[in-house]
Amino acid sequence: MTVDRVLGVGAILVAIPVAVASWGFGVGSPKSPGAGFWPLLIVVAMAGLGLSLILHPSQAVPSAVTQDSRWGRLWIALGTMAVYVVTLDRLGFLVATTILLFVQLRWVESRTWRSSVWIAALTALVAFLLFRVLLKVPLPAGVIPLPRGW
Amino acid sequence: MDTIGPLLHGFAVALTPGNLLAVLLGTFIGTVIGVLPGLGPTASIALLLPVTIGMDMVPALIMLAGIYYGAMYGGSTTSILVNIPGEAASVVTCIDGYQMARQGRAGPALGMSAFGSFIGGTVSVVAVMLISPFLAEAALKFGPPEMFALLFFAFTCIGGLTGKSRARGLLMACLGLLLGTIGTDDIQGVDRFVFGTLYLRDGIGLVPLAMGLFGLGEIIYNIEQREETGSVLETPKNLLPTLKDWKDSAWPIARGSVLGFGIGILPGGMPAVASLLSYAVEKRVAKRPEEFGHGAIQGVAGPETANNAATAGGFVPLLTLGIPTNSVLALMLAAMMLHGVTPGPLLLLKWPDVFWGVIASMYIGNAMLLVLNLPMIGLFVQILKVPYGILSPLIIMFVLLGAYALNNSVTDVLATILFGLVGYLMKRNGLEPAPLVLAFVLGPMLENNLSKALIMSRTGSPLFFFSRPISGALLTCAILVLAFPLVRWGWRRATGRRPAPAGA
Repeated sequence: MTVDRVLGVGAILVAIPVAVASWGFGVGSPKSPGAGFWPLLIVVAMAGLGLSLILHPSQAVPSAVTQDSRWGRLWIALGTMAVYVVTLDRLGFLVATTILLFVQLRWVESRTWRSSVWIAALTALVAFLLFRVLLKVPLPAGVIPLPRGW
Repeated sequence: MDTIGPLLHGFAVALTPGNLLAVLLGTFIGTVIGVLPGLGPTASIALLLPVTIGMDMVPALIMLAGIYYGAMYGGSTTSILVNIPGEAASVVTCIDGYQMARQGRAGPALGMSAFGSFIGGTVSVVAVMLISPFLAEAALKFGPPEMFALLFFAFTCIGGLTGKSRARGLLMACLGLLLGTIGTDDIQGVDRFVFGTLYLRDGIGLVPLAMGLFGLGEIIYNIEQREETGSVLETPKNLLPTLKDWKDSAWPIARGSVLGFGIGILPGGMPAVASLLSYAVEKRVAKRPEEFGHGAIQGVAGPETANNAATAGGFVPLLTLGIPTNSVLALMLAAMMLHGVTPGPLLLLKWPDVFWGVIASMYIGNAMLLVLNLPMIGLFVQILKVPYGILSPLIIMFVLLGAYALNNSVTDVLATILFGLVGYLMKRNGLEPAPLVLAFVLGPMLENNLSKALIMSRTGSPLFFFSRPISGALLTCAILVLAFPLVRWGWRRATGRRPAPAGA
């Protein structure tokens, strides 16, 4: 199945529940459109485009994939980002960011332990000082006690 | 309309120390971002948007504009030196620019693209300045039907210009429209598609969406599909083009300026489209087209001029009509809204400082880019030497930090990561994020004006739009754009002609 067909089917699968929901918001009439009028128009167009993609998929659109994938690295990268979201408030920006950068540098980019540690720690610190102290963005401090006024 | 007086006022605004610093910072950051492959102007403006919240309105906008045209400027450096486009608008510069570099003429290539960018940018700013006041005045008379027709015309152009497949582009645009309906609806106050969450009631944020799709998506894609480049970089000497180079480039630069501005003011007219078109035009009019692809300076001068001219041209519809024509300008729109400025016909009257200040700063910024960047080429070469393995985690950090800083919300970070994943999947399957983001921004405006126009019509008939000359003309244009492929297909079938080879 080509990308176009998958897209077409996906568009129609999205369109149906959205159309039902739009009906629920109240479609109104063209004279006084309700809250569901616009979403309904959109999904009608979407379904039409989806149908045309299923019926006339473009031939041989070259895939952007050119070489062997590096799936392992991809999953590590996504995993650390997910962990980052969960821990950012609790651990604070400095610790969470150092961990994020370290894992990425060491296991996604295969740098040495030593360079990974210092690049991660230094970057997190510089970013923290720049954004929290200089630009006053209230980045969470978390487990690290901060001097007053920071 | 008198433009000299207000322009002088604009210079007075732009020449204050704080605003000069903003221009300098913006153009410098923009150039660096343009030089770095993999981080385009859309992602970087999204990234720096939160930082500008703490700044005053005028310097903030001046800086963001500087980032945009600075990025166009820097993109050529990477194309010429390492044969990787720094951003989309410099793709064609790779073709002849890199060949020139291989022949030891990297200096003149860089120099000419810098001069071309300066000339194109400046010509375009002059045109922006002359046209905008008239357009704004005309637009003041626009009612909801005209605005809807204009927006709809813009919308139909998006799908056509930004990708290989129109149906795909339009589908992405519809998806963007749909995402734009999430949240409490402005007119009726009904919660739409919020799934009982507080976060979605305000709607999806443009910044997480744009940063995820453009910035993070690109980075994740590069993690999975890395193209290693082992090019040896040297700082080119002698950046000044010869007299012959100037002779060869004069007309391409002139054509590029006009073409770029024209493309820039059109909906969907991205700088990348302008540079591509300029390359095609130059190749066609060249006396020796066979030199193209083997280091013809016209192939560098024309496109690099055109993309900067288009960049400036895009400010016309944004500042006078409040309509962004590409995703970077959509973020500029968001930035203006964050600072309480509504772009549109009233901008000139209500916030003349913003309008004329930004215009004047663009003159200054273009000159600054020329004066500062040619001597700094060595620095950019050093930046290009930083391994991508270090840059990529740093960019991820900045993207997540930027997402957090906007509202100090971890949910925004999560949204950015999710959109990053979507962006990665889209890129992997050859889908363009630009129509989605642009439609996301245009969507609420479209709906709002459509509803008002329909209520105005009293009958609810679509024919109402054709009973008014401007909206009728614009809608006719939109229908022509939509029907164009059908007409072409029918024509080819009828005449039995084969499609012309692309890029000819």
